[in-house]
Amino acid sequence: MTQGHDPAVITAALAAIETSINKGLSLAPIAQRELAELEGTVIGIQCTAPALAITIIIEPSGELRLAHYSERKADTQVRGTLEDFAALAVSEDPAATLINSNLELIGNTAPLIALQQILSTMDLDWEAPLVDALGDVVGHQLASLLRALFQWGKASGSSLRRQLSEFILEEGRLTPPAAELDAFYSEIEQLGLRVDRLQGRIQKLAKRLGAIKP
Amino acid sequence: MSDTNRDHVEDAETTHFGYREVPRDDKEKLVRGVFDSVASRYDLMNDLMSAGIHRLWKRFTLELSAVREGQTILDIAGGTGDLAAKFSRLVGPTGQVVLADINDSMLRVGRDRLIDKGASGNIHTVQCDAQALPFPDNSIDCITIAFGLRNVTDKDKALRSMERVLKPGGRLLVLEFSKPTNPLLENAYDLYSFKILPLMGKLVANDEDSYRYLAESIRKHPDQETLLEMMEDAGFVNCQYHNMTGGIVAVHKGIKA
Repeated sequence: MTQGHDPAVITAALAAIETSINKGLSLAPIAQRELAELEGTVIGIQCTAPALAITIIIEPSGELRLAHYSERKADTQVRGTLEDFAALAVSEDPAATLINSNLELIGNTAPLIALQQILSTMDLDWEAPLVDALGDVVGHQLASLLRALFQWGKASGSSLRRQLSEFILEEGRLTPPAAELDAFYSEIEQLGLRVDRLQGRIQKLAKRLGAIKP
Repeated sequence: MSDTNRDHVEDAETTHFGYREVPRDDKEKLVRGVFDSVASRYDLMNDLMSAGIHRLWKRFTLELSAVREGQTILDIAGGTGDLAAKFSRLVGPTGQVVLADINDSMLRVGRDRLIDKGASGNIHTVQCDAQALPFPDNSIDCITIAFGLRNVTDKDKALRSMERVLKPGGRLLVLEFSKPTNPLLENAYDLYSFKILPLMGKLVANDEDSYRYLAESIRKHPDQETLLEMMEDAGFVNCQYHNMTGGIVAVHKGIKA
């Protein structure tokens, strides 16, 4: 027998939150249209402690489908403990928390960022449907997890994409800024031209030497 | 593979119909009588009896099916077609869904509901017996039977028939009432099944006997581990089950080798 949460309980919670999101989306046609462009995208959220897996599938209609069990390969996978997700939710610098925490981001992050941006513009009540379905303790935990992933960008008023890129550039120094890269490419180009010129001179000299020889 | 080659063909002349022992040949007719009686109010009664939770049980079963576009799905004892309608959307226009039921009344209600929902084009309805499925060997990607197996006279034979028509790697999902894992829950469940359920049947469908049969048939159905063994005996591999709502319902999954 497979162990863990009662699938009916988790399914009830996901059905409730799915209804809540899709109801919100039906009133936000632009958001729904933007989501429809991500048709077929699969985002996996894996909470390792307590063990809980949620898969978010974007339907052709732009609606979301939330599943407790899915065999579809996730385009983006976010993995961590509830504590990690909670830290992200309350962080004043979410991008830095995301990078420095034990949360693992696997795969293509673009769909997650797009989904986060769309959902963060909507006034979704994550708590009520989950607490109704699961009770105060578990419902609140799951709501924290989802809020951590999709709502924190709203409070700071800036997007995950910008915060992430700022962090990667300025704080993490993981990639060089665009200006540094441009200067670097320009120097390489100059070097290439100088090498070409040098090669031309060498050929010219070689020709002269050939002409001098008897 | 022929169904008669298996070891588990039952020899007994009688079988159970709820708590009654009846001749094996009569069970099919008696079950048909029950479902003829409840067909028109089947979904309403399911919602009332389970407080709507049957929709969640089916939703999780649907997730476990992991069906993809273009696949062929057989929903046995599909009754009023709620699972078939969802499968129809998942397999898309290149896939096929077969809604099968032995009971003509249930199938009619199911077909009408599906048309009303606009689910058509890739759905076929077939009246057939789960013990002798009229489909070629290795032709189906996924079979579901939700709250139907307990009404089948020879369950082993039905499981072998399902194994025969599944493609190698195809999966069977059996959603069925089972044995609660908590004794306290079991007591409350007994009280509910034998006192409240028939009363609901009487009030809503004016059919106390049919709903008493439903309660009795649940108690006579094999428990989780027994059904798991039956599936393995029928040739399925990687068999497992998930208890739901404290074991009141379990969904078993098996893969054709």
